[in-house]
Amino acid sequence: MGNKQTIFTDEQLDNYQDCSFFNRNDILKLHARYYELAPNIVPMDYRKNPIVTVPMSVIIQMPEFKENPFKERIVASFSEDGEGNLTFNDFVDMFSVLCESAPRELKASYAFKIYDFNNDNFICKSDLELTLARLTKSELEEEEVVLVCDKVIEEADLDGDGKLSYADFEDMIAKSPDFLSSAYTMFPELLPLMESIRKDELLSGRGGASSGN
Amino acid sequence: MITTNPSATMKSSKLSRRYASIKRNASQLYPYREPLQFSNLDDSDNDDEKGNSNDPEQIFQNIQFQKDLMATIRCRPWPMKQKLKALRRAKEIVLKFEGRLTRTRGYQAAGVDLWRKFVRLAYNFVVIFIPWEMRIKKIESHFGSGVASYFIFLRWLFGINIVLTIMTGAFIVIPELIAGQPFGSTISKTIPKDQVASAQDLDTVWSLGGYLQYSVLFYGYYGKERKIGKAGYRLPLAYFLVGMAVFVYSFIILLKKMAKNSRMSLASASNENYTFCWRVFCAWDYLIGNPEAAESKAAAIVNSIREAILEEQEKKKSKNLAVTICLRIIANILVLLSLAGSIYLIYFVVDRSQKLERTKEELTLWEKNEVSVVVSLITMIAPSAFELVAALEMYHPRTTLRFQLARVLVLYLGNLYSLIIALLDKVNSMSIAETEAKNNASIWEYSPHFLPTRALSEEEKWSPTISGIQVKQNNTIQHYLIPITVTNKTTSYNYNVQNQQDQCWETYVGQEMLKLSIIDMIFTVASILLIDFFRGLFVRYLSDCWCWDLESKFPEYGEFKIAENVLHLVYNQGMIWMGAFFSPCLPAFNVLKLIGLMYLRSWAVLTCNVPHQQVFRASRSNNFYLAMLLFMLFLCMLPTIFAIARYKPSLNCGPFSGQEKIYDIVSETIKNDFPLWFNSVIGYVSSPVVILPALLLLFMLIYYLQSIARSLKFTNSQLRMQIQSDRSEDKKKVAQMIVARTQTQEGSKKSQENDFINQQASIHSMTPRKHGHVVNLTLRKQNSNHLTSHSQASILSPVEITSSVTSISKARSEHHRYPYFTHDSDLSKTKSYTPVTFKKHLEDIHSDPLFHKGIPQENPDVLGAGAPGFLRGQIHVPRYYIVNERESRRKPRSISRSPRHFHRNNLADFGEMYSRNKRGYLLSKPHHAYPPHLSDEEEEEVRRNIFSRSFRPRSFSDLHQMPHFYIGEQTERQILAAEDLARMHYQSWNDGFEADHYRPVYLYKKPQSRNFDPEPRYPEHFMKPNNKQKMEPSFTESDSVSASSSDQQNSSTDQYIQIIHNKDKYLKSTGKLSRKKSKSRLEMSIVDPNELVCSNV
Repeated sequence: MGNKQTIFTDEQLDNYQDCSFFNRNDILKLHARYYELAPNIVPMDYRKNPIVTVPMSVIIQMPEFKENPFKERIVASFSEDGEGNLTFNDFVDMFSVLCESAPRELKASYAFKIYDFNNDNFICKSDLELTLARLTKSELEEEEVVLVCDKVIEEADLDGDGKLSYADFEDMIAKSPDFLSSAYTMFPELLPLMESIRKDELLSGRGGASSGN
Repeated sequence: MITTNPSATMKSSKLSRRYASIKRNASQLYPYREPLQFSNLDDSDNDDEKGNSNDPEQIFQNIQFQKDLMATIRCRPWPMKQKLKALRRAKEIVLKFEGRLTRTRGYQAAGVDLWRKFVRLAYNFVVIFIPWEMRIKKIESHFGSGVASYFIFLRWLFGINIVLTIMTGAFIVIPELIAGQPFGSTISKTIPKDQVASAQDLDTVWSLGGYLQYSVLFYGYYGKERKIGKAGYRLPLAYFLVGMAVFVYSFIILLKKMAKNSRMSLASASNENYTFCWRVFCAWDYLIGNPEAAESKAAAIVNSIREAILEEQEKKKSKNLAVTICLRIIANILVLLSLAGSIYLIYFVVDRSQKLERTKEELTLWEKNEVSVVVSLITMIAPSAFELVAALEMYHPRTTLRFQLARVLVLYLGNLYSLIIALLDKVNSMSIAETEAKNNASIWEYSPHFLPTRALSEEEKWSPTISGIQVKQNNTIQHYLIPITVTNKTTSYNYNVQNQQDQCWETYVGQEMLKLSIIDMIFTVASILLIDFFRGLFVRYLSDCWCWDLESKFPEYGEFKIAENVLHLVYNQGMIWMGAFFSPCLPAFNVLKLIGLMYLRSWAVLTCNVPHQQVFRASRSNNFYLAMLLFMLFLCMLPTIFAIARYKPSLNCGPFSGQEKIYDIVSETIKNDFPLWFNSVIGYVSSPVVILPALLLLFMLIYYLQSIARSLKFTNSQLRMQIQSDRSEDKKKVAQMIVARTQTQEGSKKSQENDFINQQASIHSMTPRKHGHVVNLTLRKQNSNHLTSHSQASILSPVEITSSVTSISKARSEHHRYPYFTHDSDLSKTKSYTPVTFKKHLEDIHSDPLFHKGIPQENPDVLGAGAPGFLRGQIHVPRYYIVNERESRRKPRSISRSPRHFHRNNLADFGEMYSRNKRGYLLSKPHHAYPPHLSDEEEEEVRRNIFSRSFRPRSFSDLHQMPHFYIGEQTERQILAAEDLARMHYQSWNDGFEADHYRPVYLYKKPQSRNFDPEPRYPEHFMKPNNKQKMEPSFTESDSVSASSSDQQNSSTDQYIQIIHNKDKYLKSTGKLSRKKSKSRLEMSIVDPNELVCSNV
């Protein structure tokens, strides 16, 4: 505990560690990330628990989210106001749930929220269509989307109400072989490093070229 | 807050304790699912307990609970703010109350707390030392978990190799270096004089000769002194034991990991019930942070979904089977050929190099490294060839991948095996030469005969593992054995001397393995540079000035082929295992190699690779890699074990020199250095008397466990089947429910419409599409019906039911019309029919479970209708109840129904019924210009209104259910129809007289159709009815016929009766009363005289 940091009190750090799956360093790193997002708003001293929120538009620019088709949904599901404005607490919470050591059930409950676009506590066909559209960048045909939606509901809907309740969803997702492995896992630690990735330097022209084709 | 009353405290404490324990259980049961309110609950509860808790036990429980909460709080799906709050509160409570507990508990708690802090600290500390964590995560974030899984696997292998290195280093290499005889002290530790000059040549060093050959790197350097140093370290024993421990450790850690993984993936073992769900909900790899990876991932998802759709659509389609089968056969032949070719090539090269070694004094660089280079080349080129071949086969990509992996694995194994076999071959020849050298001294003429036979016999013994090559081997062996003998004869002496030092086959094998490993590393590096890096550079910078698009067409960027790379790792590890015994430093070398590989690969991946198109899902929990590794381990262990068990260790080098077999060291140690009793015990244990039973026992155990596993599997599959059947049943039920619901909804809509219409004075217009015809008529009919029903009620009602059957046969759309039919049938059937029909109805009702749901409510109507006929009000009522019960069971679904029942029950008061009927009658009359009823009607008007409201709901529900009935058998249908009719009537009644208009329409239609439109009054109706008649005949058949035959007049009466049915329940009593009225009405309305008669009867 010899680190000299004035961002959090030790008690705060302990509490954060209790409430998340991060260690002390991770939390400091997370704060750094959070601070980076909006240096004007976010204070460096969190010992007084200031109430500060960072809007969704900033958060979804994070490299972790930039490519994620559900980024808005993720951020919205973790924000306390439901609009995507994240306090630091929410921020930690989000990455804690998304980190690899979070248990399946926890992830499933948030995954459900993520896919429940209209917040009616059910995943209905319209939610599914939106999910598909984002997942496939709207590349599926109309009929295919309908078919897939029907199939999904047919497969997972146990109570037959034509939409997926959380029970249905969890039951389905719990059986998935790769639910935990890759889906719903994310590493906040990586990001500071991402800027220096050489690939971008070497191949930076590539994205443009391929998209041109 | 401490209550003075002890009993009160007791109670409260008990209560709260129980509460707390319940809650705790709950929290254990649903650690993650607790709703958000739970925390609030906690809060309030905590507050309560703060006050009440004086009992240490309770405090303790409370604290325990709070601690549980603290431990699991991170797993709760609450917002962080809430979690923090709850946590703070819990901590406060714990802090506050812990002091009140006994000292020991306090200490315990403090200790636990300290320990937790320490663990956390240690964890925070340890995390720093997880190698390459950031690097892997970076890769993971760019390329997804598939690519990362390669690196995680690599890191895991690295860990294993570290342990192996420590084992060999600590127990073999370091003792030898410290306490062993120094370099140059013995023959086996000195470089032969004729080689000293060239010992430092790059050439020699490259081929691991010279100083390297006589170093701790290889087996030959280790001394054979039983004990070394002052402490008497038993190096040879350690050497042997560590050599075995390497395998044992690898096995254990592999199996452990696999077991852990399989435990993790147990849940996912179920067959793919959720193909689409998983492809939608679990498709996205949340780790992807790279636009290209994201793009290809999206494309992959689209592909996988399309694939699933295709598979779904044409599961049984088989296209051009002949062609594909031919292609596949060809492909497999090609693969087999290339496998055989590669194996032969390796064998040929090894053979050639041996010959060269023998015949040539100076070997070129190429000649020295030929073997390793060829092997590495093959391992690099063949997989690509397989990939090309696989394109022929047109398998599903996943299958292709599996085939590819299997083939590559076989190739690698084949390579390793042919290499090791060739090496052992050489070992053979070496030991032969050695023995011959000896023999030369004494009886060297004997050798020619002896050698071939011995070689052959040995060959045969270990050839079974490589059956295919056996023939060749024998041939080649014979080939070169003969020359050897020849040379021996000529240069026997010189050869013999050189043998003294050179002939250390263990070192030779170790050298070869190390060399192979090195060359493999070089080739890997080269391939990474060439295939990935330079290609990337080339494509990147030359694509602008090239004639085609390099990036998207031919060379493209290199892909990171996870599967092949993983296999390569497995292969690499196999080499290590194979050579570790002969070259104790091989694991150490491998550690270095893996480190280098990690950095190089990760750099290459991040720099110049694009993610693979077909994402091979190889997650951490995937046992696939591990299974391959295990397979490899086993196969690589075999040759080593074989060599240890079969060959005589070299005479002049190594820790086991001078022994007959390597493993003799163990028995020797036991014999010399253990007490006698231990010796004898070992003797017993190793005797067949013990070993055989032990083996048997093992087999039995295996069999037993196997059978248990099998039975578990069986029960597992049975349970799964049960789940599935349950699920499908659920689904069926659900489907039924849905159908029912939709129908009821439809019905309700209609009924609502109807009601609305009814309420409106303008009845004519309102009638449902089909019923729209004649409102006016309906009014009359109703009236008449009432009358008739009253009069005939007892007898006719059953008849009506039967008649209703006929009517039911018609389409749903005609529900409204049914009433007419029933009327008809009623008319047609005389009183005599009634009993029979009624019974039938009852039976039907009871018998059909499906219908019950829908029908129950309706049934009452029917019953009611029938009952009045037979028993009148008294019987009537009980039946009602029965019906109601059923309804109540099934009703829950439709809320609307319950009120109806209630109403019905209430309706039991027949008087009301009557009144209604009267009113309806009266009302209808006015509309139709019939003379209004004066007396009774007015009185009951109020009631009617009330009832009518209450009834409306019924009508809705009834309507909804009707569809179900139709589906059912005829009898059922009939019942339903009857019910429907009843409902229709209800509505009319309920709505008031105006509403009645609307019903009449239906009634008219049916009656007209069957009845033959006896009544001239309604010309319009006649027309329509006729149409319907045409439609209906098929359904109505008997009933209708009977009806028709009976009388048109009857039919009209039937109509009345039907009305009664509708309200029968109520009407039973009314029947009588109504009769009078009906008569009057009939007269008024110009209904058939028959009806009047009937009612009178």
